[in-house]
Amino acid sequence: MTQDRFHGVGLGLRRPHLEEVARREGHGVPFWETCPENVVGDGGRQHRLACAILDRDPVLTHGLTMSVGGYDPWDETYLQDLGDFLLRTGTPWHSEHLCFTRVDANCLHELLPLPFTREAARHTIARARDLQSRLPVPLLLENITYYAELGASDMDEADFISTVLEGADVGWLLDINNVYVNALNFGFDPKAWLSRMPLDRVSQMHIAGHKKFGNLTIDTHGADVIDPVIELMQWTLARLGRPVPVLLERDNHIPDLDALLAERAQIQAAYDAAYDAALASAEARHA
Amino acid sequence: MPEATTGSGSEPRTLRLQRAMASLVLDADEVALEADPGRVARSQALPGADQQAFRDQAEAMLTYRELARASLIEPLETMFPVTKALLEPAGAWEPCVQAFLEARLIRSGQYRDIAPTFLGWLASTRWGQDRWPFLLELAHVEILEVLVARFPDAARPEGLRAEPTPEDCIVLDPATQILTYTHAVHRASEASPVPEIRPTHLIAYRLADGDARLLELTPATAALLVRAQDRPLGEVAAALGLAGPDAAMTLLKDLHRDGAIAGFQTPT
Repeated sequence: MTQDRFHGVGLGLRRPHLEEVARREGHGVPFWETCPENVVGDGGRQHRLACAILDRDPVLTHGLTMSVGGYDPWDETYLQDLGDFLLRTGTPWHSEHLCFTRVDANCLHELLPLPFTREAARHTIARARDLQSRLPVPLLLENITYYAELGASDMDEADFISTVLEGADVGWLLDINNVYVNALNFGFDPKAWLSRMPLDRVSQMHIAGHKKFGNLTIDTHGADVIDPVIELMQWTLARLGRPVPVLLERDNHIPDLDALLAERAQIQAAYDAAYDAALASAEARHA
Repeated sequence: MPEATTGSGSEPRTLRLQRAMASLVLDADEVALEADPGRVARSQALPGADQQAFRDQAEAMLTYRELARASLIEPLETMFPVTKALLEPAGAWEPCVQAFLEARLIRSGQYRDIAPTFLGWLASTRWGQDRWPFLLELAHVEILEVLVARFPDAARPEGLRAEPTPEDCIVLDPATQILTYTHAVHRASEASPVPEIRPTHLIAYRLADGDARLLELTPATAALLVRAQDRPLGEVAAALGLAGPDAAMTLLKDLHRDGAIAGFQTPT
């Protein structure tokens, strides 16, 4: 059962930790998340270590550059390799970002915002449905951090995301930190925002650190998760009333494995407390 | 002077907005972009409201430029520190990177492919090589060990022998590369990025523990390793006038032990 294998707080599998993770079977991490772009087609010792871990431990997969909202045709060779990789890992789903990364055959290697328009929503829905039809596992889309709206908007971000998720009929990878950062940058209440969203579609969550630069807060994945973001994760888990897996992302200023495991354990404790409270609340309602 | 309009109003507005964002990230004229981020929307024939949105969110739009360019440039600075040390004092590193970005050649979604793509661009355009004729060789040697270390694993041919005979030819490990440079670029460093003019032969290969190793070869040994891949070792050694075939055999055995040579087999 998916929910039995994937709950609690997992970690992103990163190159600096491969040696140690491969050596330490009793690391206590319930699952890893890996980016197929970083594994497919690679070779050498680090690659072999990554594959050994992915063959040994539960894994979720998270893509970076498919450009779901873009116009470039899919790379059919990569799609085939990706499908093989997803099956090999046994991931229950594959997530991608609700954004564009490619324009006219150029990959910009940045998660760029889609226009919040009906045209962009219709286009992205069609692309997501097509991508889903080509993947061997269900597709999730992740809400990104955005720092500007791309062009004049027909709707707000919440309506755009909801429209795409519902129209494409895909699951949601809810990035809690991205909601928090967007709320800071655009001045809205993250709980009110989440209350408008189709939370029944959430299959996984992300949590991460961020940093303020000038007038903008940037989703850096380079710092510890702050308490308000952990509290927002707990609030969301309580609303969900079910234990979706949460992934702690760390891509910059990556600490040593023990420090990251300690942060994971702290967030796991918060996760357990929130879920226990949700269960107690449900029991009280049915008493 | 107004910039040229490249967008077509008949294409989807979403696509034109994405092209405007790509221009904002990749285009050269930073001063003009800072003065008016709406110019990239105008060049795509986007409506006035879209152009205004770019202007109204100027700080955030320029943050995207900064973030995306940092993402694209970081692997170049990491992988080519000696090339950067060569070009930067001459004020040529940033123009080099900008010319590469404007060529719009980064096709792969795999981040590790950015540095090899830059190398390919240097080879095809010969950028800067009138002034620095060794530039391509320098950049190549800088990523050589990484390319060898990360070469995709492949099954080795079966039926190879571990001990060479004069009738055998050499089968290299798929990750092994034999290079000839006109400059001793492998000796260049950030402190001393201009290499000595000296024909240089190298073998780069992957050790059993996964690390890459670079060895300098004599011209005759390099020729032996190249030519004896499809001709008998004894015949090639004689043609090269190698005086001590035993020494060559010892080197071949060492390279086999270290993983550079997959094995030996009779030519087919």
